[in-house]
Amino acid sequence: MSSNSLTLAPAPPSEAAEQVRLEVRQFLAEELAAGTFSTHVDTWLSGVDPEFSRKLGARGWLGMTWPRQYGGHERTAMERYAVTEELLAAGAPVAAHWIADRQSGPNLLRYGTEEQRKDILPRIAAGECYFVIGMSEPDSGSDLASIRTRATRDGDGDFVVNGAKVWTSNAHHSHYGIVLVRTGPPGEGPRGKHQGLTQLLVDLSLPGITINPIRILDGGHHFNEVVFDDVVVPAGMLLGTEGAGWHQVTAELAFERSGPERFLSTWPLLAEFGRRAAATGDPAQLATLGRLSARALALRQLSLRIAAALDRGELPDIPAALVKDVGTTFEQDVVDEVRRVVDVVPSLDSPDPLGRALAEAQLHAPGYTLRGGTNEILRGIVARGLGLR
Amino acid sequence: MSDQDLVVETVRDVLAGHEPLLLSAERPWDEGLWTALAEAGLTGVGLPEEAGGSGGELADAVAVVRTLAAGAGAVPVAEQLLVAAPALLAADLDLPAPEEPLTIAVDGAVTAEPSDDGDGPGRFTLTGTAVDVPWAGVARHVAVLATPPAGIEGAVLAVVDTAGLDASRAVNLAGEPRGSLVLDGVGVPGALLGPAQAGMVRARYALARAVQISAALEQVLAWTVQYAGERVQFGRPLGKFQAIQMELAQMAGEVTSTAALVDAAVQALDRGEDTVVLAAAAAKVRAGAAVEVVAKLAHQVHGAIGFTQEYRLHHLTRRCWSWRDEGGTELAWSRTLGAGLVAAGGDDLWPALTRVV
Repeated sequence: MSSNSLTLAPAPPSEAAEQVRLEVRQFLAEELAAGTFSTHVDTWLSGVDPEFSRKLGARGWLGMTWPRQYGGHERTAMERYAVTEELLAAGAPVAAHWIADRQSGPNLLRYGTEEQRKDILPRIAAGECYFVIGMSEPDSGSDLASIRTRATRDGDGDFVVNGAKVWTSNAHHSHYGIVLVRTGPPGEGPRGKHQGLTQLLVDLSLPGITINPIRILDGGHHFNEVVFDDVVVPAGMLLGTEGAGWHQVTAELAFERSGPERFLSTWPLLAEFGRRAAATGDPAQLATLGRLSARALALRQLSLRIAAALDRGELPDIPAALVKDVGTTFEQDVVDEVRRVVDVVPSLDSPDPLGRALAEAQLHAPGYTLRGGTNEILRGIVARGLGLR
Repeated sequence: MSDQDLVVETVRDVLAGHEPLLLSAERPWDEGLWTALAEAGLTGVGLPEEAGGSGGELADAVAVVRTLAAGAGAVPVAEQLLVAAPALLAADLDLPAPEEPLTIAVDGAVTAEPSDDGDGPGRFTLTGTAVDVPWAGVARHVAVLATPPAGIEGAVLAVVDTAGLDASRAVNLAGEPRGSLVLDGVGVPGALLGPAQAGMVRARYALARAVQISAALEQVLAWTVQYAGERVQFGRPLGKFQAIQMELAQMAGEVTSTAALVDAAVQALDRGEDTVVLAAAAAKVRAGAAVEVVAKLAHQVHGAIGFTQEYRLHHLTRRCWSWRDEGGTELAWSRTLGAGLVAAGGDDLWPALTRVV
C-alpha cells in the first residue's frame, strides 16, 4: 500500500490552525448566543445568509489561502481546514459563499486572467460574491463529458451559449457561474469526449438566462435549472484555455471533494445525539456514539492529510475521491445508526431537537452520496489508484 | 533509508524463511521465527538499552509489529514490545530479558497482596486466574494487571515467571493460544498503579491490536488487488469488472481510514498525551469496523480458494476477526469512547472530539 497513490503523509500538528479554530469557536458561540443563527443539518447547502458570510469575510475567514493582492490572507490550508470544520460542526449558515470560497476562487486563481482575479477574488474574500457550479445537465449526471450546452463564437469573438444546467445549488442567490460548455467537436477514441470542452465565467444577470427552482425532498429551494438562451458571454470571460475544460474541471473537483463538508453535513445530528446519550447514559447509545465518533476521527485524519498535501502544493485527487466516498457513506450511516438506538419519531415540526435534526438529516441524506460525483464514480477513481484501470 | 525502513527490511528478511504456520495444540507458536528475531535483536526494539533492550523509538517497535502482523508471524512481539515491556518500564519494574517472550494479562480475577511494605516497586502475592492471556503456555513471563488490596484504587502490575505454572489450552479464531493462568499465591515483583496508569496499560493493549489489524488489512487489500489482477473469469481479469472494482475501492477506503487513525493514535502515545486512552479506543473501534468490511469482501473476491486452509488469506482474516475483540471488545471500547467524549457534558461533543487526536 505504501507506494500507491492512496497514501498521504501524516499532517504535522499546526498551532496556527488550533489558534484560529478557537477564535472561530468563540465567534460562533457569541453568534449563537446572540441568536443570529440557529444550528441545522447540511447548512453548506441550505444555510444561505449573506450577512453571516460578510461577517466571516470581515474576520478574514474567506479566501484564507489566497494571495493578499487578491484580498486573500496567505494562510495555510490547515488553518482554512480548521475554520471550515468549526463552521460545519456548528451547523452555521455558510451556503451563500461556500462554493465561491471552496472551489471557484481557487479555480480563478489557477486559471483566471489577471483582470478576472482582480475583479472577483476580493469580492469573494469579502463574503459578497457567490458562485454556482455549472457542470451537470439533465442528461449528463456523472457523465460530465456528455454535456450538450454549447458555446459558439460570434463575429466579435464573444461566446454565445445555449443549453441548460441542473442541480446548480443556490443559483438564485449567486452572481456568477463557472459553466462547462462544448466549444469544439469531440475527438476520436474513448477519451475523445474530453476534448472540445471549455469553462466560461458567466455573469448570472446576463440577458437570456432563466433560473428555475427545483425543490428537494424537504421542500427547500437550493437546486435550480439554469437555462441559457443565446446568452452572449464576452470573450474576456473565457476561463483558462479554450478546449482544456476537462482538465480544469478535474483539478477543480479535487477541491470540491476533499473538504470536511464531506463528512460533517450531519454533524449537528450527531451533536444532538451526543446530548441525548450523555443525558440517558444508555450503554447502547454510548456505544453507537463511540462507533460513529471513531469513524469521524478517522475521516478527520484523512482530511487533515489532504489539507497538508494542498499546503505542499499537491493536488490529491485520488485521496479526495476516497475521502468523499468514505465520508458521505458515514454521513448517511449517522442517520441509520442514531435512529436505531433512540425512541424518537423524526419530524421537521418535532418539539424535540433530536427529532428535528433526524428529520433534516434523513430528508437530505440521498444527496450526500450524489453531489460532487456519485460514490460509484468515486470508487472507480479509487480503483484507478489501486492500479485496476 | 530511514530507521524504520531498515527495521522493516530486517524483519522481512527474517520472515522470508518462515511461511505462516497453521497453529495447533502441538505447534502453538513459531518458535523458530522467535529465535531468529531474538538473535537479530528485534525482540528488544524500542526498549532502552540500559533496560536490556535494543534501543530505538516507539515508531521502530511499531514497524516491527506491523511487519510481523502482515506476515502472520505467530510470536508474541506485539504483546512484548508495545504493551508488557513499556508498562513494566513505566512502573519502574525490571524487564525480563527481551530474548524471552513476555506477554500481558489484563483480564480475570487475580488479587494482589503486598508481601513487604516498601514504597514503589515491591513484592506481591498473586492469587486467582488470569484469563484470555495471549500466548499462554508460550510466553516465559507475563505482566499481570491484578486487583489491588481493598481500599486502594488502581491496580497492581506484577511480573510472573511462568516456569512451573500450568496454562489452560484455549485458542482464538486463528489458533493463537489464549489460555488461562492459575496463580496460587505466587510471590512476584510488582508495583502499584494509579487508575490512570492502569488504564494506560489497557489502552496500550487495545492500540497494539489496532496496529496489528491495520497492518494485516493493508496486506489483505494488497493480496486481493493482486489476485483480482491475475485471476481470469469470463475472459478477463476479475479486477476489470466494475462490481469487483467497487468492492476493492470500498476495502481501500476502510484500510486507508484505519491506517490514518491508528497512526495518529500511535503518535499521541509517543507524545504522552493524556487523551491517548480515547485515541486508542477510537483506533481499536475503527479497526474493528474495517475488519467487518475488508475481511468479508476479501473472501468474496477471492472466491472459494480464499475459503481454504491451503491459501494464505485466512492467516490474516482469522487473526483480524479475533484481534478486533481482544484487549477489550469492540463494544466495550465503543462505550468507553462514547462515554469519554461526553464526560464533560453532552454539549461538548465536537470540542471533545477535536482534542482526541
